[in-house]
Amino acid sequence: MTTKTLSVVRNVFLALGVTAALGVAAVSSDAQACGGAWVPEVEIDYRIAGMAMAEKSLEQGEYVAVAGSVLRMIPHIVTSKPGRDPIMGRALRALAVSTVRMDGALSKIDKELPYEMIGSWVGTKAEDRSANLEWSVQALRALNEQKKNDPALQTELGEAMSKVPAHQEEALKLLGGLADKDLVASPEGYAALARLRNGSGDKSGSEQALKRCTAMAKSDSLCQVTGKFAGDT
Amino acid sequence: MDRSKGSAPAHGTAHGWQMWAGWAAPVAALALGLGLALFTGCGSEREEPRPGPETALATAAPAAEDSATAAHGASSPTAAAAAAPVLRPGDPARGRELATQFECGRCHDGLDVPPVAMEKHCFHCHQDVLADKFKGASSTAIAKWKPHIAYARDVPSLLGAGRRYDPAWIERFLLAPYDLRPLLRPTMPRLALDAEQARDLAAYVTRERLATVPEEPSLAGADLARGRKLIEEKGCGACHSFTGVAALPEAPPPLADEHYAFEERAPVALAPDLRNARDQLSVRTVYEWIANPKGIKDDTPMPKTELGPDEIRDLTAYVLRAPLEAAPPKPIPARLPVLERRVGYQEVSERVLGMTCRHCHSDPDIARGDGGAGNTGGFGFKPRGLNLKDYESTLAGALDDQGERRSIFAPLSDGTPRLLGALLARQAEEAGQVNPEIRGMPLGLPALPPEDIQIVESWIAQGRPR
Repeated sequence: MTTKTLSVVRNVFLALGVTAALGVAAVSSDAQACGGAWVPEVEIDYRIAGMAMAEKSLEQGEYVAVAGSVLRMIPHIVTSKPGRDPIMGRALRALAVSTVRMDGALSKIDKELPYEMIGSWVGTKAEDRSANLEWSVQALRALNEQKKNDPALQTELGEAMSKVPAHQEEALKLLGGLADKDLVASPEGYAALARLRNGSGDKSGSEQALKRCTAMAKSDSLCQVTGKFAGDT
Repeated sequence: MDRSKGSAPAHGTAHGWQMWAGWAAPVAALALGLGLALFTGCGSEREEPRPGPETALATAAPAAEDSATAAHGASSPTAAAAAAPVLRPGDPARGRELATQFECGRCHDGLDVPPVAMEKHCFHCHQDVLADKFKGASSTAIAKWKPHIAYARDVPSLLGAGRRYDPAWIERFLLAPYDLRPLLRPTMPRLALDAEQARDLAAYVTRERLATVPEEPSLAGADLARGRKLIEEKGCGACHSFTGVAALPEAPPPLADEHYAFEERAPVALAPDLRNARDQLSVRTVYEWIANPKGIKDDTPMPKTELGPDEIRDLTAYVLRAPLEAAPPKPIPARLPVLERRVGYQEVSERVLGMTCRHCHSDPDIARGDGGAGNTGGFGFKPRGLNLKDYESTLAGALDDQGERRSIFAPLSDGTPRLLGALLARQAEEAGQVNPEIRGMPLGLPALPPEDIQIVESWIAQGRPR
């Protein structure tokens, strides 16, 4: 063989060797694969940062953005239950609260989601809105089962239940109990209590709740007793 | 920092009512002192040897002996005996269990309790974060944390504590901690300890204490003026303050939070105010400490200074016997009026809750299940479920002793909302006044400035707006 041929063969072997080495590295996902040496596997959970951003949006009242973000991150969330993964619980809470605060109609979420994920979230029909609110109630109920004695979650459940006629009696009892202990954790909770008390004929109690709502809320528009619930048909 | 706080508890004045359990030692000391005064007289310019605390506190079980000594030296033995019930000795084994229960190892090294995981060890964790060695958080998060924790990176180790401290002092200190190290912002927190637990912990921490105490070095012939000259010449004031005596010529430098290597920081940050030494240490300990600090505590940043025996004696005498001016009482800062402008939650969060409180009252869901001592429990505190993560959680209250949820804005007996009361109680604690109804917050950290408390009070007064 000529020198040139030898050089070509050597380069071919070198290339094969490098390729083989890279191939081994690429398939070695097992931490023990490299001769027993510990090789860290770095997995970045993008849901952590995503959830933090979603919760920030929730604080700022950007409910459709929250719902869109949660649904994109965890498409199967609608059928999920809170478990050991705290991210799942936080995601369920953020989506449920956003849905409740939008009265079951995440009207512009079709701009946030692929077509096949939109489902009933837009809430154009009354039954869709009711279904969305009922899902929110059940999600928050499950979270309350998991984290008992948390007035922040209880307030959110009460707020959600106040928007579903079938649960309003329970909501009145729950929120009223929290108010007695000064543990209603949001102005929305007091607004819901004011509406429920007003609806049950307790005008004085309604005014008290409204007063607390007004003191806590950024905007007085949140603290209204008039208008029917979106879940009402 | 108020350096004057150091003497109040030890003399049993402002704190006397709350240190009922540790009164046997002061009574003993007083009785012994009175007895000695009768025999030796007072006001001698030249120092005479006097029995150190170890005379009465030679073992880890001092209290009963204290009582006996007190009775022996008192003018009315019957009355003294009646006033000094025999306390059971401290139990080091029980103390070790308590050190685990109260998680002393989360702050202090030098204990033989089971090691604490990195993410639970306050100071190791902070040191790693500040040195960019912490794994498990993004660089953005770490950059955000750094300025919040820069002040909390140094803590005294308890290595060899038994060869240094008087267990009776440790017992008193645990029950009513005060500021020992003027340049260290964190202080020993006021834990939920009873008197027996404090005694057992003191017995454990001082377990290396010798059963047979060697004879004290004599301070006879010590020259306080020479001791003063030496303390100036050797530059002790570069690290130590010494309140109550004429100011030392060198003063500890201000500690910058950033870019300050441990080797440079620690000698200053951990240097105690020398006025406390006479409450904590025996003549022998101070003498041996000055002679060879690492001989007593291997990890001390205190340097060894070449001194002859007479110089060490004179320095020891000055540290322990120099007349001290009475510590000026620390006033409780005046409360500022409630603001008329609107104060929203965001301001409260950014100025107060997010800066300090959230560290111990955080959300377990975003902190690997540990919501901090004030939420999921720690440092011997049972879980209180107080999560100050956000607006809703803050309004969701905390668990009381019966496990019932209670608003943190519920009024105390004087009508002050609990959250505000806790902040004010910390100011009072720093002034030597413990509020029995509520623990001062932030725990083990300086009280908030009046301007920050004003923000919180205004927010509450305005109905806690979002």
